Amino acid sequence: MTGPWAEALPWVIVLPLVGAALTPAVAVRHPRVAGFWAWGVLLVTAVLASGLVAELLARGPFSYELGGWAASYGIELRFDHFSAWVLPLAVLFVVIVPFSWRYLDHVMPDERRPPFYALLLLNAGGMIGFCVTGDLFNLFVFTEVVSLSSYALVAVGGRGLAAFAALKYLFIGAVSSLLMLFATAQLFVLTGSLNMADVSLGLGEIGSGTAVMVAFAAFAVSFMVKAAMFPVHVWLPDAHAIAPSPVSAVLSGMVVKVGIVGMLRIYQIYFGAEVLELGAFNLALVWLGAVSIVMGAFFAIFQDDIKLMLAYSTISNIGYIVLGLGLASPYAVIGASVHVFNHALIKATLFLAAGSIIHQTGFRTLSDLRGIARTMPQTSAAMAIGAVSIVGLPPTAGFVCKWYIALGAFEANQAPFGFALVFGALFIFIYYIRMLNAFYFQKPVHDEVAQASETPWSMRGPVVLLASLCLILGVLGGIPLNFVEPAVLDLLPFWGQ
Amino acid sequence: MEVVDVRPILAPFVSFLCAGLVFGFGRSIFWRRFFTFLAAFIKMALVLSMLPGTLQGVVYVYQFVEFTPGIGIGFRADAYGMFFSLVSSTLWVFTTIYAIGYMQGDRDRVRFFGFFALCVSTTVGVAFAENLLTFFLFYETLTICTYPLVVHAETREALRAGRIYLTYTLIGGGFALVGAVMTLNAAGTLTFAAPGILGLESGVGTLAVIFLCLIIGFGVKAAVMPLHGWLPIAMVAPTPVSALLHAVAVVKVGAFGVTRVIYNVFGVELLQQLGFATPLALLAGFTIVAASTIALTQDHLKRRLAYSTISQLSYIVLGAALLTPLAATAAVLHIANQAFAKITMFFVVGAITRTTGKKYVSEIDGIGARMPWSMAAFTIASLSFVGVPLTAGFITKWYLALGALEADAWWFVLVLIASSLLNAGYFFPILHRAYFRPAKEPWPPLEPGRHFETPKTLLIPIVICAAYVLLLGVTAEVPGMPGSVAQVAVESFFAPRGVGP
Amino acid sequence: MQPFGLDLDYVAVVVLFCVGLYMLVAKSNLLKKLLGLNVMETAVFAFIVTAGMVEGGDPPIMVAGTSAPFASPIPHAMVLTGIVVAVSVTAVALALIVQIHAHFGTIEIDELKELP
Repeated sequence: MTGPWAEALPWVIVLPLVGAALTPAVAVRHPRVAGFWAWGVLLVTAVLASGLVAELLARGPFSYELGGWAASYGIELRFDHFSAWVLPLAVLFVVIVPFSWRYLDHVMPDERRPPFYALLLLNAGGMIGFCVTGDLFNLFVFTEVVSLSSYALVAVGGRGLAAFAALKYLFIGAVSSLLMLFATAQLFVLTGSLNMADVSLGLGEIGSGTAVMVAFAAFAVSFMVKAAMFPVHVWLPDAHAIAPSPVSAVLSGMVVKVGIVGMLRIYQIYFGAEVLELGAFNLALVWLGAVSIVMGAFFAIFQDDIKLMLAYSTISNIGYIVLGLGLASPYAVIGASVHVFNHALIKATLFLAAGSIIHQTGFRTLSDLRGIARTMPQTSAAMAIGAVSIVGLPPTAGFVCKWYIALGAFEANQAPFGFALVFGALFIFIYYIRMLNAFYFQKPVHDEVAQASETPWSMRGPVVLLASLCLILGVLGGIPLNFVEPAVLDLLPFWGQ
Repeated sequence: MEVVDVRPILAPFVSFLCAGLVFGFGRSIFWRRFFTFLAAFIKMALVLSMLPGTLQGVVYVYQFVEFTPGIGIGFRADAYGMFFSLVSSTLWVFTTIYAIGYMQGDRDRVRFFGFFALCVSTTVGVAFAENLLTFFLFYETLTICTYPLVVHAETREALRAGRIYLTYTLIGGGFALVGAVMTLNAAGTLTFAAPGILGLESGVGTLAVIFLCLIIGFGVKAAVMPLHGWLPIAMVAPTPVSALLHAVAVVKVGAFGVTRVIYNVFGVELLQQLGFATPLALLAGFTIVAASTIALTQDHLKRRLAYSTISQLSYIVLGAALLTPLAATAAVLHIANQAFAKITMFFVVGAITRTTGKKYVSEIDGIGARMPWSMAAFTIASLSFVGVPLTAGFITKWYLALGALEADAWWFVLVLIASSLLNAGYFFPILHRAYFRPAKEPWPPLEPGRHFETPKTLLIPIVICAAYVLLLGVTAEVPGMPGSVAQVAVESFFAPRGVGP
Repeated sequence: MQPFGLDLDYVAVVVLFCVGLYMLVAKSNLLKKLLGLNVMETAVFAFIVTAGMVEGGDPPIMVAGTSAPFASPIPHAMVLTGIVVAVSVTAVALALIVQIHAHFGTIEIDELKELP
């Protein structure tokens, strides 16, 4: 028995996509309307998403068959605990879009706004579709929707350099999508179905074999690239740093997580069938994750440009998530899954705060932005809270996940990784201390900094809201953790070595 | 017996609220002072209201939020936590008065008093932490909140000191986190329990690593050698900050943590079986003597006091590491005794600098004539550290000596005697210079309209804290005074497993 | 369906993929890289069609004269969708290359790396 919200499942995808298509029409007279239109669409989507999550909490996972075709013949949409990521995703979009209304003033002429917001809606719709689909090929299609809109969004604000970063992103991303297509086709050939649940059953009948392993490997590499894991992370720093700040927030916070959610979906398919010996793979994940953590932090420390530093920090944090997944113990995986959300929140805070500062002063480097805290106190405070969060100090959101992953490390008898995890984050604090010292305790060197004013409320509101959420979720961190726990425990009997 | 009560969580939270109000309305001098005092007074009132219950063995608990069974944020006001919060909330009131007077005309006072109030809140959060996670949460938050106070002057020196301070404390925090995680893994719970929560079944190796991590983690703030490096450097902070944070809050939180680990995570029985406490006791003994020796060579007044603090903190660690009831009593009592005496000294030094601009021992000849009350207070505090009867310090030394004998570790008595001599060695010359040498140059005269040697806001805390030193010295056995709370705490530490709160 | 029944076809697919990969990685001109990407995509499509082949299968339409086994329409649908995706990616890539050319005056990676 499913409630009325189950019928709403396709709408949560359709709304942003159709909204995207309609944006140029809506904004034909006044280009700036596009921004409000996008916000409205995303707001309704967020409301729908909360209804879906409420349904999930009340009655458990549910599905919807598109077009009335039975699941194995048609495309099935499925809403389970991992799909619930759709809700924080939509909410984060709702918070980030108002920031872009004024921010884009200095990035692009007004005529470009409708295409920009159309792309943003496409991006949102694609990610939402990615999370709720139960069909493998559908997954591929939505991945492409997300990727394409991301490539375009990176380039939308700038000139040649942005286009170059976007092209680099495109080439690497397209290859990874190809791998995904190949793996999907391989699984179809093996099991005769594209429906994820069916494939899982089919794999169970086939048992393990080279073809099965090859498909898994292809999926794994493809999602690794999307998630910017070491060593295929090279596209991320330039792309995220060059994009306009709201886009950076979306990219670092959410698009990158598509890789992680994809990995979790593949786990779900393969684990139902118990066809994999995962020991070596998990070990590889753990090591790659650890290297990402250290390497990301290491490069971040040497950056002068704030956004480049934040981009490397994203690589480091993805390392945490991957490390948690590789450890394969309940606490670690729960911590990793929740970090998907917490990191999105923290990164959004940091990128929007950084964007505010860049918007008001025109400078992007630490040496130029000295003393900004005097004239932009609230934004700097938000930046400080974000910094403390991302290092993982209490009482912020970042701490809770680190705690859980560390717990998982010790639970899995991988004590050295536990140590590496705790001290790796402290490492990156070196940069943040430099940043906070520069902002708060040094004299401004540029007039623009000394005379900057705080951002207008449409920009400041989201920043302050996000920073407060970082603190609140530090104390109430139990809520997401408890939410994810049943889904992870379901997955885990088949996980381990 | 345990009673669910909202006060253990109310104490830190109300203070947090007031801190927020200081930040919000701090531009106005009146509201800034109002909310700063409000934070201190409310905290003190809440703590005092729970005191009668504590003396009868009541423990107040409040579970705030639970992530999963066994891991959550919880508050618990047991006797030991009550003792610590009593000391810190009392001292906070006085330090607030002193800080307002000292920071007159200084810059960025909103930031200063805002973070000051935040430190109040986090300290009481540490005192009332029910489990290692909550403890760690407030412990690290304290680190973050003290940083702006340390670097307040914003000079290169201050920033450098701040960096060093953060490096030490955050790395220590990392160790503490690892230790806490390993404890959870080994014991299945993080809730402090009177007879400890770990057991031999976890394996000696694991237990050794946990002990090492937790002790390093909390030992950084407790300035146990060789982790003490940050303390003398952090003396660059304004004197109210040095007084409170480095004589009362930050360092005591570290010592509090070390004792919690010994009594409520490992437990007396387990440590006796494992023998880990002995190296710790030796390290503490070494610190006591070494730090005092270094203090002899320091000419800068605050630095001399810093090394004296390092030395005195290890009294607490030593008392806890000896694992006997009398030594434990000494450790707990010394939290109060050292705090009052040391804060008196810092207040005096600050008053001297404010009034005459002098910062070095060699410069204060003859100051006894100019500032008689302050130097009298300093004298009382010095006598306390040397261990003269009728002062608080004597009580500590007495119990510690008895505890050492009880533990068959009579050589620590020698350490105590040596320490007393060394304390005399670096405090008495100060007194000698102050009283018996003529001033090198005339002192600045009293400002017109002032009757006292130094502003009232500085003098009153000095006098009251010195009076406390004497009070604690004579009333250790009197019921209702701090001594009895300490007794209740010690009883709980040594109760056999399965008994007690 | 018979996976890996026709070895030669799969070898050709792999070779094509490698050729495309080589073009993507080794060529300096951005347009040539894009062509390499397209070749790789074609290789994957070829794989899908080949793997989905049914020996002696009839078109999957229910009219008189057709009978089982039918060729499965799904691989063909996948390839068509894939082609659409590939075209979109190529379009975006071309737009970006035009931008790069307009701004830098070159589309050779070697020259682009020299620029500050």
